Amino acid sequence: MRRPSPAAVRWLLLAALLLLWELVPQTGLLPELFLPPLSKTLKVLWLDRVEYATNLLVTLHEVVIAMLIACGAGILVGALVGGIAVLRNLMLPVFSSLYAVPIVILYPIFTAWFGIGSESKIAFAGLYGFFPVMLSTAAGIRTIDPQYLLAARSMGATIPQQITRVIIPASIPTVLTGLRLGGALTIIGVVVSEMLTASAGIGYLVTRYRTILDSAHVFAGILMILLLSILFDLLARWVERRTLVWQTAGRRGPSTATDTTTLPAPAPV
Amino acid sequence: MSAIEVERLSHVYAGAEGGVPALEDISLKVEAGKFVVIVGPSGCGKTSLLMMLAGLRHQTTGTILCDGRPITDPDPSRVGVVFQEASLFPWLSALDNTEFPLALRGDPREERRRRAEAMLNLVGLQGFGARFPHELSGGMKQRVSIARGLVQDPPVLLMDEPFAALDEQTRMTMGHELLRIWSQTRKTVVFITHSLTEAVYLADEVLVMSPRPGRIVDRITIDLPRPRTYEMMATDTFGKLRERIWQQIRKPEGAH
Amino acid sequence: MTQAQIIAARLALLAAVLAAWALLPKYGVLDPRLLPALGDVLEMLVKQLGRPLVHEAIGVTALEVIVAFVIAVPLGAAIGVAAAEFEYFGQIFKPMLFYVFSVPKSIFLPMFILVFGIGFPQKVAYAAFSTVFIVIMSATAAVESVKADHVLVARSCGATRAQILLRVYVPSMFPVLLEALRISMIFNFTGVMIAEMYASRTGIGHLIANWGENYQMPELFAGVILLAVVAICFNEAVRALEARVSKWRT
Repeated sequence: MRRPSPAAVRWLLLAALLLLWELVPQTGLLPELFLPPLSKTLKVLWLDRVEYATNLLVTLHEVVIAMLIACGAGILVGALVGGIAVLRNLMLPVFSSLYAVPIVILYPIFTAWFGIGSESKIAFAGLYGFFPVMLSTAAGIRTIDPQYLLAARSMGATIPQQITRVIIPASIPTVLTGLRLGGALTIIGVVVSEMLTASAGIGYLVTRYRTILDSAHVFAGILMILLLSILFDLLARWVERRTLVWQTAGRRGPSTATDTTTLPAPAPV
Repeated sequence: MSAIEVERLSHVYAGAEGGVPALEDISLKVEAGKFVVIVGPSGCGKTSLLMMLAGLRHQTTGTILCDGRPITDPDPSRVGVVFQEASLFPWLSALDNTEFPLALRGDPREERRRRAEAMLNLVGLQGFGARFPHELSGGMKQRVSIARGLVQDPPVLLMDEPFAALDEQTRMTMGHELLRIWSQTRKTVVFITHSLTEAVYLADEVLVMSPRPGRIVDRITIDLPRPRTYEMMATDTFGKLRERIWQQIRKPEGAH
Repeated sequence: MTQAQIIAARLALLAAVLAAWALLPKYGVLDPRLLPALGDVLEMLVKQLGRPLVHEAIGVTALEVIVAFVIAVPLGAAIGVAAAEFEYFGQIFKPMLFYVFSVPKSIFLPMFILVFGIGFPQKVAYAAFSTVFIVIMSATAAVESVKADHVLVARSCGATRAQILLRVYVPSMFPVLLEALRISMIFNFTGVMIAEMYASRTGIGHLIANWGENYQMPELFAGVILLAVVAICFNEAVRALEARVSKWRT
């Protein structure tokens, strides 16, 4: 019998997982406290959809603004650090040393400064997402094939022209990957901060229901967050794929879509 | 008795619909102490043939004998192998790389050291034992690779395009060096190359293979005097021999 | 710029930041209630390090970090090596790993609490869960980094399977594994911190969260500095070790 394709197996595993999620609690193998059945989780989600929707909006609002900050500042600072040799040599190793520190320990400082509302979450998540965007933009600028710039200069391009017509187009693929990572980390940052100290948001909901041991509502919240992150990831990858044609075009090194040596490592959260 | 005897060797790669024939009915004998070069178009199976001579791959049908005994597994005391990429272990020094087969066998340290140093001297790298591969040039790395292949004093040395990754000048020097080492040790050498010049310069006999499925389609004796010199490359005889090999390789399938 | 100039520049930068931190709150330019002066923070740090409560918290955190690591690493390594060695298995699971990294693993923390309650096992379990995935990914990459050429050469020298494992795989993978351990520890430490800050009665993370809730800013900053320094020192120490072991890596 020929083996099914790996992709098919993955879908099968997912289906099996969902099935187990439904059946295992119902047979009493695991108490409902640990794992409420999938159907109950979905039911609860539907019944309280207003509450979940309102809080989802809060979370989304924080995510969007934090992403704007993280991506905007990240690209700007990354371009500077990556493009200016002095800055690069000075700062990049410092950032990679700082990676060892769990940023989450800074969150209480943010709540003390900004309160427990959305501002502290946005500030924290913005910081969280800033680093991967900055690092991959810096890396992207560095690995542009110098031959392209040489060719442009030999054709009489001025510095502004070199930037707009060579550097920016050639950096787009790496920047996009950085945005995907940064976006993912921003979502993670918002979720963590909402779980820790908040008054609204899906993370806050999950914590609140956990304290009253309402598993079904907890899992409903978890499900929402999972769907949110996966949707974002799919969307970001789709955008990246649309620009795939460029991805190896301007590079000196291996394709940046899968190259993890110049890009920051995944999020520890 | 020949150093190497191959009888009716064929090989088929497993695959859909009965598989892909790679080698077809190859028979050859190599006399002890001869330098034989195999040439052929890309994909003709010469590397596969070499792998089988080394015991690294098993042929579908046919026998391979070395000094009368069959080859079934790699054995550096009977057959030494030098690959295209020197593939020295980067975490070992040149000396440690050379004595690697002996370390596998569990030979005592003094013994290993002595043998390895002798081999490095033979290939012209006296004093370089402590260097690491990243400190050596391409030519030097291949020399270490040759030293490693010879360290157990096998009667046969197999070489798969060992100089292909080197620049032309280094290639010529290395070829000359190889002939010197060969004349000092009198090994039986089977050497694969794409370079016709290299083939004529080095060989006693050149075997030409056809495109896939590979067969031996011509055996050309190179009766240039030894020791070979660079000046010989400019002679008529040299040119004619090279021409002849080229004609054989260029012949369309079926015309062989 | 020469290496010496770079180091000098970084030190100067650090000195400038520290000086600003020491002086600006002191002279009221920045609100010292929000950002206590560096001097006060350091004084508080020394004071806290003398308290038995803090010693206990450090001990608890350290234990959690170690136990979680000891669980996650062998487990993750076994799965990662299996994914590299058994191609079919690897093809199924490798794409899944990428999704795992874009999902906030912290969202599962309530699940661990529902099952284990609040306490040592829950924090260790969550931290191990956080860490195991990066260990898997690193282990797979480490095995795959061993060059097929080297294995072929070893075979041609007559090496047995065991000899190939010991004499080719192990030395080849060693620097990669060291780096993998370093990065896994970062994940591990982060996981422990989150668990302690979220729901715990012990540990440094809990202390920090507590200080934050009570606006005890000097204590909070002292704790943050302590953790940051420990994390960075450990990281740099392993990095230095990696550099020494990797001289031969291109």
